Amino acid sequence: MHPNMILLEWQQEPSSGLLQELLFLKKNVKEHFNGISQITQGYCSLLIQWKDAITNLADIKNKLIFLYWSLDFTSIPEKSKHWNLPVCYDKSFAIDLELLSSKIKLSKDAVISIHTQSIYKVYFIGFLPGFLYLEGLNSRLFFPRKESPRMDTPKGAVAIGGKQTGIYPNQSPGGWNIIGNTPIPLFDPNKKNPCFAVPGDTVSFYPITIEEHQLILTNGNPLSYLKEKK
Amino acid sequence: MIEVLKTGWHNTIQDLGRFGYQELGVPSSGAMDLNAFTWANKLLNNPSNASCIEMTIKGPTLKFHQPTYITITGATMPAMLNSNTVKMYRPIKIQKGDVLQFSNVTSGCRAYLGILGGFETEIILSSKSQYKGLTLHDQIDKKSLIPIKEVPFIPKGAVLKTPLIDYQSIFLKSYKGPEYKLLNTQSKNRIKTLTFTVSRNNNRMGVHLEEKINQKLPEIWSCPSLPGTVQLTPDGTLILLMRDAQVTGGYPRILQLSDDAINLLAQKTTKDQIKFEIKALH
Repeated sequence: MHPNMILLEWQQEPSSGLLQELLFLKKNVKEHFNGISQITQGYCSLLIQWKDAITNLADIKNKLIFLYWSLDFTSIPEKSKHWNLPVCYDKSFAIDLELLSSKIKLSKDAVISIHTQSIYKVYFIGFLPGFLYLEGLNSRLFFPRKESPRMDTPKGAVAIGGKQTGIYPNQSPGGWNIIGNTPIPLFDPNKKNPCFAVPGDTVSFYPITIEEHQLILTNGNPLSYLKEKK
Repeated sequence: MIEVLKTGWHNTIQDLGRFGYQELGVPSSGAMDLNAFTWANKLLNNPSNASCIEMTIKGPTLKFHQPTYITITGATMPAMLNSNTVKMYRPIKIQKGDVLQFSNVTSGCRAYLGILGGFETEIILSSKSQYKGLTLHDQIDKKSLIPIKEVPFIPKGAVLKTPLIDYQSIFLKSYKGPEYKLLNTQSKNRIKTLTFTVSRNNNRMGVHLEEKINQKLPEIWSCPSLPGTVQLTPDGTLILLMRDAQVTGGYPRILQLSDDAINLLAQKTTKDQIKFEIKALH
């Protein structure tokens, strides 16, 4: 792929077991290798980037395999938080809800109800600062990404793309179908922890009206509307 | 202190980029043409990560409120210091009250304005690189004042004479991406042989090409992507991710540009042509 990189891929569907494995391996690779500039994670992959071109690929490959087999993936401690986020599904925000609901043959209310009843697991943060990749979308809501991305998906947009759901932390181009909006800021670069959630945490959504959405947006401390449950 | 009298087209403060925050979804950012950026600092004996102004298509008009040295590298962007033309790739002495005015690029796309010690703008997540939603400003604003350092400097007459990169070259050296294997022979041949055109949709996040690949690849589970990753969207568009690109994506990654190719692509703009040159890794 590139002289500085090694891509590790798992030929399986995403699962919470695989997630734990990826997170644990990532932590250990960081500890056991020198010269790594960063490791990014996907649903089923880890991309390891070195600062310089890899000259001893065979050695590193062997060391990675050895590390993988020496780790005890059954001993990973589970400590995660649950976050309940307010979402306004009003049509002024949910610009793709009409199309999505007619194509998947469910009423808009049914889509909202299914979307708010599930518990989603944070697999990783990517795409944009604070964009949570959430797993656990009910298969009845699966709907493909747009053929070409929209240039200006608004901040806070809650969207469905393929088998995934997520929230746009900032205005950006995006190929997912927008079904609502959350007034909760997903990313604050001035905070010590810019993003409140970490991979492994769980998230759910609760519906709010457009008035409540406005109220939370104008409130000085919108994060207080984020219901954290242990 | 430098005063921005006019803004030009798209001008941002950039350094080498933001590293170690990709786990939070933060793009690396940094100068699009790292080669030209590096020379802007080297000629001033600056630290390698000193920030420069990246000037796209047309640079700003600036008034200097203190003496300093500057240097201009990258795309050919004619500049006037008061009423004199200034040359590129050398330190230029600036007096208090001087006005520097840029015109449109005549070749290439992005020029770099280096300054002694770098620009003293806000540092967010260990970098000064401006990025929407992260830094307070996402570009150089009109009437803003940019603080600079006072650094002693004795120019040793360093001038770069030979062009370092041929900006006219259309060849982007690339490696096969993880999903290259999903392409059929026809698509592979098209990618290897066709001369592509840069579409209007080109910016710091990515460069879209006009010519399409008529093969619809399946969506993939969102996975790591980075500057230089070439994605193929379901409608057949090739997107070449650049410095502000997302750290993960769900479109198949068919190629990965070499570092030099990213720097060269940073100098391409709408209607420019490019060709992929696929190299083996080892």
